[in-house]
Amino acid sequence: MKNKSGQLTLSNITKVFGNGSEKVVAVDNFNLTIEPGEFVTLLGPSGCGKTTTLRIIAGFETPTSGEITLDKKDLKNLTADKRPMGMVFQSYALFPHMSVFDNVAYGLRVQHLSKEIISQKVAEVLETMSLSHLATRAPNQLSGGQQQRVALARAMVVQPKVLLFDEPLSNLDAKLRAQMRIEIRRIQQKLGITSVFVTHDQDEAMSLSDRIVVMRNAVVEQSGTPDEIYRRPNSVFVADFIGRSNFFKVDKVSSGKGDKVKVLVNNEELEVAAHPLAHKSKTPVLLVRPESIQVKAATVKKSDGIVSNVVFYGNHVEYSVTTSYGEITAIESDPIYDQIVKPGNHAILEFDPSRTWLLPSSGEIIREE
Amino acid sequence: MKKSRLIALGAIASLAMSLLTAVAPAQARDLKGSQCGREGLIRTIKGVTYTCERVDGSLKYAEGRKLSGTLNVVCGATEAWCAAMATKFKELTGVNTRFVRLSAGLVPARLEAFKNNPEFDVWHGGPADGYVVGRNLGLTEAYLSPTRKMISKAQLDADGFWSGVYLGALGFCSNTQALAKLGVKLPKSWADLLNPKLKGQILSAHPATSGTAFTTFWTQVTRLGSEDKAMEYMKELNKNILYYSRSGVAPVGAAGSGEVAVGLVFAHDCVAGAKNGLPLKVSFPSEGTGYEIGAVALIKGARNPLAAKTFIDFALSADAQNLGVGANAFQALTNPKAKYNRLIIPLRKVKLVDYDFEKAGNRKPDLTKRFDDEIINRSQVKS
Amino acid sequence: MAIRRQSAKLDVFTKIAIAVLVLILSVLIVIPVGNVLYKSFQPGGIEVLRNVYDNDYTRQIIYNTVWLGISVGAIGTAIGFLLAYIQVRVNFRGKKLLHILSLLPLVSPPFAFATAVIVLFGRAGIISNGIFDKQPMIYGYKGLILVLSISYFPVAYMNLLGMLRSLDPAVDEAARSLGASKFKIFITVTIPLLIPGIAASFLLLFVEAIADLANPLVIGGDYTVLASRAYIAISGEYNIAGGAAYSTILLIPALLVFIIQRYWSQRADVVTVTGKPSGQIEYIRTPLARYSLLAMAWSIVAFVILIYSMVIMGSFFKVLKVDYSLTLDNYRYIFSGVGNSAILTTTMLALLATPIAGVLGMMLAWVIVRKIKRGGQVLDFFGMLGLALPGTVLGIGYAFTFNSPIQIFGITILPQLAGGGAILGGAMAIVMVYVIRSSPAGQRSGIANLQQIDPSIDEASASLGASGGRTFRKISLPLIRGAFLTGLMFAFARSMTTLSPIIFITTPDTPILTSLILAEADTVRYGNAFAFCTLLIAIVLVTMGLINLLVNKTQQAGYQPIAVSAG
Repeated sequence: MKNKSGQLTLSNITKVFGNGSEKVVAVDNFNLTIEPGEFVTLLGPSGCGKTTTLRIIAGFETPTSGEITLDKKDLKNLTADKRPMGMVFQSYALFPHMSVFDNVAYGLRVQHLSKEIISQKVAEVLETMSLSHLATRAPNQLSGGQQQRVALARAMVVQPKVLLFDEPLSNLDAKLRAQMRIEIRRIQQKLGITSVFVTHDQDEAMSLSDRIVVMRNAVVEQSGTPDEIYRRPNSVFVADFIGRSNFFKVDKVSSGKGDKVKVLVNNEELEVAAHPLAHKSKTPVLLVRPESIQVKAATVKKSDGIVSNVVFYGNHVEYSVTTSYGEITAIESDPIYDQIVKPGNHAILEFDPSRTWLLPSSGEIIREE
Repeated sequence: MKKSRLIALGAIASLAMSLLTAVAPAQARDLKGSQCGREGLIRTIKGVTYTCERVDGSLKYAEGRKLSGTLNVVCGATEAWCAAMATKFKELTGVNTRFVRLSAGLVPARLEAFKNNPEFDVWHGGPADGYVVGRNLGLTEAYLSPTRKMISKAQLDADGFWSGVYLGALGFCSNTQALAKLGVKLPKSWADLLNPKLKGQILSAHPATSGTAFTTFWTQVTRLGSEDKAMEYMKELNKNILYYSRSGVAPVGAAGSGEVAVGLVFAHDCVAGAKNGLPLKVSFPSEGTGYEIGAVALIKGARNPLAAKTFIDFALSADAQNLGVGANAFQALTNPKAKYNRLIIPLRKVKLVDYDFEKAGNRKPDLTKRFDDEIINRSQVKS
Repeated sequence: MAIRRQSAKLDVFTKIAIAVLVLILSVLIVIPVGNVLYKSFQPGGIEVLRNVYDNDYTRQIIYNTVWLGISVGAIGTAIGFLLAYIQVRVNFRGKKLLHILSLLPLVSPPFAFATAVIVLFGRAGIISNGIFDKQPMIYGYKGLILVLSISYFPVAYMNLLGMLRSLDPAVDEAARSLGASKFKIFITVTIPLLIPGIAASFLLLFVEAIADLANPLVIGGDYTVLASRAYIAISGEYNIAGGAAYSTILLIPALLVFIIQRYWSQRADVVTVTGKPSGQIEYIRTPLARYSLLAMAWSIVAFVILIYSMVIMGSFFKVLKVDYSLTLDNYRYIFSGVGNSAILTTTMLALLATPIAGVLGMMLAWVIVRKIKRGGQVLDFFGMLGLALPGTVLGIGYAFTFNSPIQIFGITILPQLAGGGAILGGAMAIVMVYVIRSSPAGQRSGIANLQQIDPSIDEASASLGASGGRTFRKISLPLIRGAFLTGLMFAFARSMTTLSPIIFITTPDTPILTSLILAEADTVRYGNAFAFCTLLIAIVLVTMGLINLLVNKTQQAGYQPIAVSAG
């Protein structure tokens, strides 16, 4: 069931708070087009501007400049209550003086629908969210997870064109968070509602989104699919923010076959995939994810470094290896316990160059055009 | 309807009309100039109100006034007296008389606030110094009531901007039980008040409050001869003063309840207190004392000036002034024909100083400032 | 939780609401105060203002005023805090009773407390002289702080009660687990968290104490303050401009205090995220602490009861302090003649003003906390101004402003509202004065309550399509019902007992109960005055009870009311 409506476009959105010496640029030239039914996450550390952007979409902040349109209609003069959007808040913001039923029915009552229709719709959505047995409870009688689901039900039942999520899972424990993630995604895909999700948690971003927009200091660092963000990050910041990374210094860069480049790493020449602007950087670095590195026992003569720390997680093991080019982290799945290289031992590190990525180093963020 | 019937009805109607007008009472005869029984008497005859005035030795009705509408009085006297006056006036003239009772000192302020659009027609009660201010602020209008001829010139504003209706002598109001406990005899002179046994046992109003206390002050100026000598006395007296109240009648309550032994108030307030059951006795200083004049005045821009003028005639008359006693007000009265109740202390029985109201009024701001600076401010340290 | 910056576009309802509020405040307070300010620069007033610089006594009066305000603020807040703390942290029988008694002094007819205190503790006081044979000097500073603290502490009580109830006990538990003793927790955790509430109470009491007029006149002795000096300027010196000038000076501490209070409340953010704390309140159990706290609380309340008993009993004696024979004469008197119409008129006008004041206070609170950030301070200040001005001067301001129709370019936009010739017999001006004197309490308590509610709740309502008006009615208002209720009760109590502003605008058509009390006090007929007072107290208490019942009838299931609090 795919919606044809719900295309959200933000053009050159900028938001500045305060003036004079107290000026704070919260969002700087934000551009994004979200297709109908797409799930986009705004990801970044605190203060990066993701929440402000979300609130601008919702209508709780007015942009200093720039435009937002929904299905090509300008939202500028629409106040928050007139925008066909639903929002799920970090604190859930359930109405404490109303029962679960009344909370969920609220938006429908605003639309002056008949009692029967309201009853029916509310019952439906409560059923979907497994809340039917809680319909008469007050919010303070619910657990965190239940409150979360009520908040979601309340936002969804009014069939908004866009669903907005403001870090809704951060108050839940890890297991519940994982569960809710799946549910949210499942429902969103079933209903096909365009969704914008704000979080600082990269696991959430990766698992939920069709696209991720990584923000830092009011600016978009990179926007792309989870795979693109993970495999081909624009900058060291993005690479480090999502997943774990190792950065190898690179000595020489020259062009290779097709769109690959040849680099000299630790006196070894490798042919690797590269960011289009990597060659422009003064000090490009090679990104090698820990899970791409294998650690094998080695002799003193042929070693890359010494294992400084090993943590066994059961389903994987994490190595810290001290090498001449820095502290390298490596992760191995499904390890054979006896074969794990113990701390203090020499080891060599092996990786497949096709699993690496050359990118400009920090200090010169070359933005995506 | 048939034409003939119409004509018939019309004829009967016009006949009836002419008969009625023929039978209607003739225009009321104006009684101006006719003889009347009592000077100051107010009578309403056939809808026209007359005041009986003395002209060239004989009593005749002054110009009649056809009164109507409502009369609004702003009244600085006690609530009961205001009410009695309003009721009686309505009885005599048929005019719907209403009043608002206000602490006397606040009346000029209220009149000033509504200067451009006066709410009241006449101002009754409260000390003359307020009326002087009223005149200066252009709040009152001159009216020479025929009944003024009964009143002594000393109790009238020469130009007619106000006329005195009652008098009060400043005296000592003592709690007999408290005095007995202190072993002090009833004070009979200003000097008696300086008795060290009365330390903290006297209550006086602050001179800046209207009337009472400034009268105290100015009386010293008059009897001692100079402002400086008066200040000396006041400083001495200050040793025995508990504090200076903001209300002119507070000393009665304080003395009555035993909080102090002696209160400095106008005698009639003390008498009223005693009548209410408080153990109070009035006495007067042998050196002489001051007094106040309570007045009545026509308000400028009054909406019902005719009724207002008649009310002033009424207020000056003995009939009106006799209402005081019934309303628990024991001021001495300005109309010489007013009935004297044994509770009223006639002013001729009290030694009065030669009180120059105008000079007192002019010196008041400077003297009260001096009082504040030299007496009140110094005493802040003690409390 | 970070202070959320608001820069959203305002919807139509909010815009209209703001416009209406500005209009109402302009008419009810800004213009009359402007008139007073204008007057204070006229001859008579200018001298007074100059006196501030070159006259010792005038400066002394200002010191007296400020010192009085500070004292009453401190003592009243301390009493309010003690009583609130006991309600929340100590378990004992009679909690409800103590609560009601703590609120009782809200109903204080003019002169009643001061006179009762004099009768009991004066130089010939029944207790001081009669029992202890002492002659204390209660006229002046000491008597004033006694009477004013007792009169105003309920305001601090209500404020702090709400704050104490919304303190998260989890914070205390955390401190305990770190080894802090209960006392240390109190000093280092509880008190600091309550600073905004303590500051707000202190400052509100300060403003009310310095504007109070009736008490300095009765029991102030020679301790002159700006309010009583203004009164003397008007009634004794016939210097209205001077009275206006003293009141203008009085506005300065009020303004300062307001600014300081805003500063304090920005600094500390005590909010629990969704307005509902978790965890169990741990009651104080140590017998020593428990009994000493309870002893203090009950003795304060006993004193309040003593005062009220004096007033009520005094109405049944023939002549107070002289003839203790019981009589109903006083009551017979007050129910004869103008007394009856005054009772009816005053009650009706107060009832009319009460819901208006309640809603005005709530709407101001809502707009200030939720909707606008910059203009909010100005609105807040002007909303509170009705309380900061001494009553007499407010009355004069009203008389001057509304004494004739207000016209612009020859078109009458406002008919005459005050005085004898006004529409409705001048009742409108009286209702307006009632409203502007009593809405500040609801405003403060509404603000305090709203600040404790997650702003996301309003936003959630908007995201579900509800307009500003709907959000206010269905979401904000129900959640601050506690504040609304206290606002209503306070408004009625205040309106019924207001005296000084009314003096200038009562008319024959609008006899007011409190001016009758004044008339009886002026003629030293305390029996009658106390009878009127007793009647007034009875009317207010009954009505407050009815309002309470009415508003609470619509309680919904599961609703946890944000604790009753008011500022």
